[in-house]
Amino acid sequence: MYFFRMLQNEHIKIYHKSGTWIMVGLMIFILLTFALVSKFILNEGETVAWERQAQAEITQIEERLNNGVALKVERDYLEQELAVLEYRLAENLPPLEPDSLWGFMADTTNLTGIASLFTIVIAASIVANEFSSGTIKLLLIRPVSRGKILLSKYLTIISFAFVMLALMFGLSLILGFLLFGVTEETYAFLTYSNGQVVEQSMISYILSLFGYKSIEIVMISTLAFMISTVFRSSALAIGFSLFLMFTGPQFVQLLSSYDWVKYILFANTNLMQYINGVPMVEGMTMSFSITVLVLYFLLFIVVSWSVFKWRDVAV
Amino acid sequence: MTEPVAQIKNVKKQIGNKTIIHGISLNVYPGEVFGFLGPNGAGKTTMIRMIVGLMKVTEGDIYIQGNHVNREYQKAIAEVGAIIENPEMYDFLSGYENLKHYARLAVKPISEDRIKEIVRLVGLSGRINEKVKGYSLGMKQRLGIAQALLHSPSLLILDEPTNGLDPAGIREIREYIRKIAHEENLAVFVSSHLLAEMQLMCDRIGIIQHGRLLQVEKMDMLLNKHNKRIVQINAHPLGKVIEYLQALSWSVHQSNEIAHVEIEKQEDIAKLASDIVKGGYQLYQLNEKHESLENTFLELTKEEL
Repeated sequence: MYFFRMLQNEHIKIYHKSGTWIMVGLMIFILLTFALVSKFILNEGETVAWERQAQAEITQIEERLNNGVALKVERDYLEQELAVLEYRLAENLPPLEPDSLWGFMADTTNLTGIASLFTIVIAASIVANEFSSGTIKLLLIRPVSRGKILLSKYLTIISFAFVMLALMFGLSLILGFLLFGVTEETYAFLTYSNGQVVEQSMISYILSLFGYKSIEIVMISTLAFMISTVFRSSALAIGFSLFLMFTGPQFVQLLSSYDWVKYILFANTNLMQYINGVPMVEGMTMSFSITVLVLYFLLFIVVSWSVFKWRDVAV
Repeated sequence: MTEPVAQIKNVKKQIGNKTIIHGISLNVYPGEVFGFLGPNGAGKTTMIRMIVGLMKVTEGDIYIQGNHVNREYQKAIAEVGAIIENPEMYDFLSGYENLKHYARLAVKPISEDRIKEIVRLVGLSGRINEKVKGYSLGMKQRLGIAQALLHSPSLLILDEPTNGLDPAGIREIREYIRKIAHEENLAVFVSSHLLAEMQLMCDRIGIIQHGRLLQVEKMDMLLNKHNKRIVQINAHPLGKVIEYLQALSWSVHQSNEIAHVEIEKQEDIAKLASDIVKGGYQLYQLNEKHESLENTFLELTKEEL
């Protein structure tokens, strides 16, 4: 019960700030704009029958494979694509169109960066603001351990991240339904695993997209939370986390020929690379990435916790 | 003898190579207002931060109601209500929401009635639902006290409670602190660098300088000990008057445009006045200056400098 009241306090402190609601409003605005743009601006081009397009792609891929591809990673990727396209034609399954409910929802997951951004802002300020306003003193002199105080703050961030994602999911479902309606055609998402093409229902595919994105958000917010706890500066934590979030993946791509790159956090945050794509560095696997992520996560948590627990508060 | 609420035993604090507190021991008893007096930078706030566990004690022990602050923190701190330096509150919340916030963190649930009672006690009933952003410093200070008293602690710690208050506010807070200490048998630990303020508020006083406790004394004892009576006079021409009085073997010294004359007894005042008039000087003003804690304090800390 006591811990529940602590969580309640932390939630009140977040949702009583106008900044939080501005972020929620911005999120709704961006999604709405994105929906209207996809409906009325992006769909003007002429449509080619998907069967012809798929056939053309198959020819292209076969040509490239016959000419010989140097990298194993690239050959794997092409073979995967080829298998999926052939399966699609054989089973008569049309690909996902952006002007359909599911296509729109899948595209929305590219906007989860906004949810990351807003969660970083909250994660970077939830501890630092208590220090900069001086309220940390009155918060700490309560009959509860510092570890629990920190935990209540951390869980509040995680809950905020999921609220943001749930909002995106719900909103894109509603907007997609209103603007594109439900199509009669049955879509299935095709994945390639263990040398076989597997059909997955669209709803579970989209849920898994959001799921993988949530892992990314949790990792980057935990990093922001750690920086904010250690340096007690929200500006530093926001700046540093955003910088890493935007440059990290590029940096990894640039250095992907080096083997050690696979130990960098940002080479592992995007687990979708194992579902529809190729790994950043050759030889990386899903379980490798999960292990790396868990280790980074533990590092962030242990650093935050020990600094917060042992620090002399002199603000 | 009643048991002390707070026991501080040979506490030291070292930060890096620098020793901030050099072994301080003192007790605070229920029903008393204990003043912790010292110039800025003497270590008052560091000491308070150690008592409430915001800073770790390097050496020594602190007990609150018998609970060790480091080893049984949660039990110890449950007995404490405090304001440390400025009364910082969540300014985007209302006064009431701030109190609710702290009420949720108390061990035993605090009823709405109790919150309302405290709000009334500190005189904030009219504006408790406004955002703290719009509060004056005095109102924030009172909200701070409300927050500290909410869970009925046995030790109230106030760090510079009158900082930034106007004279009326200072007086109000002072009377309120004395009232709750004496009526509710609460131990109050107040720190300040304002001597005159401490003189009016405290029952007992400890003087701290450079991290050392120089003296702990009952207020009335402290005042009697250094019992020198001084009369301030303003006469014309002042320089001549001083020379004249010194010639008559009065102990005189000048500060600003006023001469200070040491006396021993009541009759000396009449004699002094008649001496000045007899000398043919014009006497404008003559009054006895009551020895304040300030002189005692300055005298005590002088040797140290």
